[in-house]
Amino acid sequence: MKELKYSCPYCLAVFGRIESLKNHVILEHESEPLPVPEGMITLTINGERYELIVEPEWTLYYLLHDKMGFTGAKMFCDRGACGSCTVIVEGRPILSCMTLAIECDGKSIETVEGIAKNKHPLVESYVKHHCMQCGYCTPGFVVTAKALLDKNADPNEHEIMEALDGNLCRCGTYPQHPKAVLEAAEVLRKGKGD
Amino acid sequence: MTKMEDYKKIQEEGKFKVGADVPEITFISIGKRGVRRLDGYEKASGEAIYNRDIQIPGMLYARVLPSPYAHARIRKMDTSKAEAYPGVRAILRYDDPELKGRELNGSYFAPEWVDKGLAGWALKPIHLVLGDEAFYEGHPMGVAVAADSEQIAIEALQLVDIEWEELPFVLDQEEALKPDAPILRPNAKSNVLVTGGDLVEPAHEVGSVQNGFQEADKIIEFRSRRRAHLWAGAELPCVVVRWRDDNLEMWIHEQQPYHSKMLISEWLNLPMNRITVHSPYMGCSFGGRGNPANVSQNGMNILAALFSRRTKRPVKFLYDRSDTFFGESGDMMISDFKVGAKKDGTITAVSMKNNFAVYMCTNGLEHFIDNSRIPNLRLETVIVDVSIAPAWWHRCEQLPNVFCFTLVLEKVAAELGLDPTEVALKNDGYDGKDSSALLEYKKKHGFPDRDSLKECIEAGKKAIGWEEKWHAPGTRRLPNGKMHGLGFTWTHQWDDVRGTGSACVLIENDGTVSIIGHQADIGVNPWTAYCQIVADEIGVPFEDVRLKPFDLDHGFALMSPDGSCCLCSNGNLVRKAARKAKNMLLELAATKFGEVKPEDLEIKGREIHVKQDPTRKMPIREIVKNAMPIRKPIRDIVKNAMPMFDSCVFWTEAPIIAWVWHNQGIWGNSITTNRPRLCRQAQFVEVEVDTETGLIEVSKLINVNDVGKAISPETVEGQMYGGSYMGVGRALTEEMIWDPKTGVLLNRGLLDYKYSTMRDSGPIDAIYLETGLGHGPYGACGVGESTPTIVPAMFAPAVYNAIGKWIDDFPITPDKVLAALGKA
Repeated sequence: MKELKYSCPYCLAVFGRIESLKNHVILEHESEPLPVPEGMITLTINGERYELIVEPEWTLYYLLHDKMGFTGAKMFCDRGACGSCTVIVEGRPILSCMTLAIECDGKSIETVEGIAKNKHPLVESYVKHHCMQCGYCTPGFVVTAKALLDKNADPNEHEIMEALDGNLCRCGTYPQHPKAVLEAAEVLRKGKGD
Repeated sequence: MTKMEDYKKIQEEGKFKVGADVPEITFISIGKRGVRRLDGYEKASGEAIYNRDIQIPGMLYARVLPSPYAHARIRKMDTSKAEAYPGVRAILRYDDPELKGRELNGSYFAPEWVDKGLAGWALKPIHLVLGDEAFYEGHPMGVAVAADSEQIAIEALQLVDIEWEELPFVLDQEEALKPDAPILRPNAKSNVLVTGGDLVEPAHEVGSVQNGFQEADKIIEFRSRRRAHLWAGAELPCVVVRWRDDNLEMWIHEQQPYHSKMLISEWLNLPMNRITVHSPYMGCSFGGRGNPANVSQNGMNILAALFSRRTKRPVKFLYDRSDTFFGESGDMMISDFKVGAKKDGTITAVSMKNNFAVYMCTNGLEHFIDNSRIPNLRLETVIVDVSIAPAWWHRCEQLPNVFCFTLVLEKVAAELGLDPTEVALKNDGYDGKDSSALLEYKKKHGFPDRDSLKECIEAGKKAIGWEEKWHAPGTRRLPNGKMHGLGFTWTHQWDDVRGTGSACVLIENDGTVSIIGHQADIGVNPWTAYCQIVADEIGVPFEDVRLKPFDLDHGFALMSPDGSCCLCSNGNLVRKAARKAKNMLLELAATKFGEVKPEDLEIKGREIHVKQDPTRKMPIREIVKNAMPIRKPIRDIVKNAMPMFDSCVFWTEAPIIAWVWHNQGIWGNSITTNRPRLCRQAQFVEVEVDTETGLIEVSKLINVNDVGKAISPETVEGQMYGGSYMGVGRALTEEMIWDPKTGVLLNRGLLDYKYSTMRDSGPIDAIYLETGLGHGPYGACGVGESTPTIVPAMFAPAVYNAIGKWIDDFPITPDKVLAALGKA
């Protein structure tokens, strides 16, 4: 990730944001499109916009965890088997270890950090029901459960287990998760006045 | 008193004294549900930092080459291409002057138990940190690279040209004993590593099995086999190291950081006071590779330290998922049994021959000693060298014991047509004595007169509906066409002996309480329990107590969560410190109240009051805050004269700080620890077996564990059902499979090595009893290791009850079920 300065190809004026440069080019030079720096992507992570230069082989996990410090996404199985690195991309829970960062250009991403920051009731109900032991897989479960509740505000136990079945927990905390998700769903529904 | 007398007093007070532990306090948070777990929010919100998350500016990434062959020697190695590869910063070779001939020091723990030539508990001929002869596929071998990224390090390892000399290998322990088998160790005459009944004793016999067989009405002989499963924890192993001048700073993913510090100090010849150890949260351990004496972990720490010292850069040494499949499996065992029993189910003699391929540290006899009255026992053990990575104890080393014990008891019940729960009660006892000896022991030491096994069995039978559902083997077909089976087993609880630790309780100058004592986190939530104990012992709110577990530098280290004991040792430890700090606080308070003695005072909530007159009270924070309270008139004068006075001058009280040491005893069976196990457990399972596909489904699992006293009920239940999932995996799906032609492990990822998901078991009922019969605080006995260890064994009797055929080969996979039914 580099700190970016965008200079105008016509007059060399320097801008801190690509949007400002775009506006400048359109207004002053009456021209577009603008050449975008190689490897640049734009992501909206937890509601905040990021402009980033990435290498083509970087996974979304690597970008989020190693480069940006969103360490709630965890590397557990290594690749594609456990769900611990789950993040929500455009409303869908995906495995960030199996997704290239460049594929996500322009997309909106939600991580466990954003879910906790917004005080989603899942976090508290997970604490209350002891859904963690070592805790390494827990953020992945929280993110997956959040994606479920976004789509289905009133899931039954079977639906919850189906949604969380792709998340591995070596400590075997499984029986606690449906209880916590059911409780969080109820808190959410009450909050909305249902 | 002189200082030495003080020290001796601490030593004396530290010794564990056997006896019932009747609580002297009123429980406020202890035993209550809904106590907020200390690590909960951090873990659920993603804020918890694990070793894998640690990044330091300028950090390099290091990897070591895993051997591609099961047995091979490096003839020639050319690292020039790797050295020239952009981004490579250092390479360590087996012939490096700093490494050549240097051995691992992982056997440091118990040199009196294991010959150093055997290099660690694993009993494998692996001596070198970085050698040139690989004894198993995956053996860290020949060369390691530190580079700007993990990817570059991996690519550089691929550029190393090695001319290998492939050597013959053998995977099976019986094959390895055949006369024409290749000898795996250089200069050895056979592949036998150790023979005898125990590591330290020759073939072990208690009583006379000969006589026992003569007394028997029935002799039962059978053979059983248990294949390898592994721990495969969540977080991939890694260590981060950084040198500052001649100070070594380490971030480690290990259960026993203090031991790690000792080992690395010894290997590098670096004084311990120049080593700083941090241990962030740890994604699983279960006793496995997180142990610094484990061959791979030991070598990884050393290589990382050398890289960092050479490059003057921080180094993160990483293993990937495939690497975790080498060096952290459980043992592999083939057992031949001969059992004698009377018609009523009384077992008169058990003789076993146990052949181990890779070995943890128990042999199969211990549970017969610890919880049976069987008077005649004989065990012959042979530990054989094979071309498979060494085993390591992981949740837990009692596996051979519970398997042998379960199979013997269950076969006797089945052969005699008896209810196995009755056979259990008929044989309960210890060290060849019946349960009246247990009763005597309880009486002598003030323990309550309760029959733990009977209570566990009754609770479990009721929960699973044993009386209604128990049937003769292979006789109950369900409406869905599947065969119904019930399984049961039992043994003692064992997590309440072993270990030493030290900790300190500090009353901060605002009246809150800190427990200072380093401990690695393995997720079993003991930290909350320590705070509960300290809070209730002192009398302050639970919310006011916190533990400082992440750094080792303050000098206090709780007993590692290992050696089958965590809370039961450390609970006693922190309680001692709490009581000492409480006395100090009351003594200080008495001086501030004036005209009262410490014993006249009581702590309640955040206040201290006079027992006889509760209106005379003072907040704790006022007592500990100011050594020189300034009276108001003077304060006003000073304030007017010097407005900054209040904000810049403090006279705090001398800290109320109490440190203690605790020694819970040594690991072992009731003979070596001199403490018979009093708490029992009973496990029940209900299965459905599909006779067309061979698939076994778990419809219900009941854990009944006598935990003595549950400090944190949710945590106890978590350990029970968590262990059950692991146990179901081990029983039915978890198996490491090697290619017999190449010696290469075929399933080395979590797609091919199958452990339980959320839907791989039916409901699990965790029922715990609180008899006060444990040796931990308030009579507690740990539960963490029990269920995953014992649950798999009971699937043999459960499947037998369903289909009427024994499958004595674990895991019990569908192909074996079909073969038993004559369908394969």
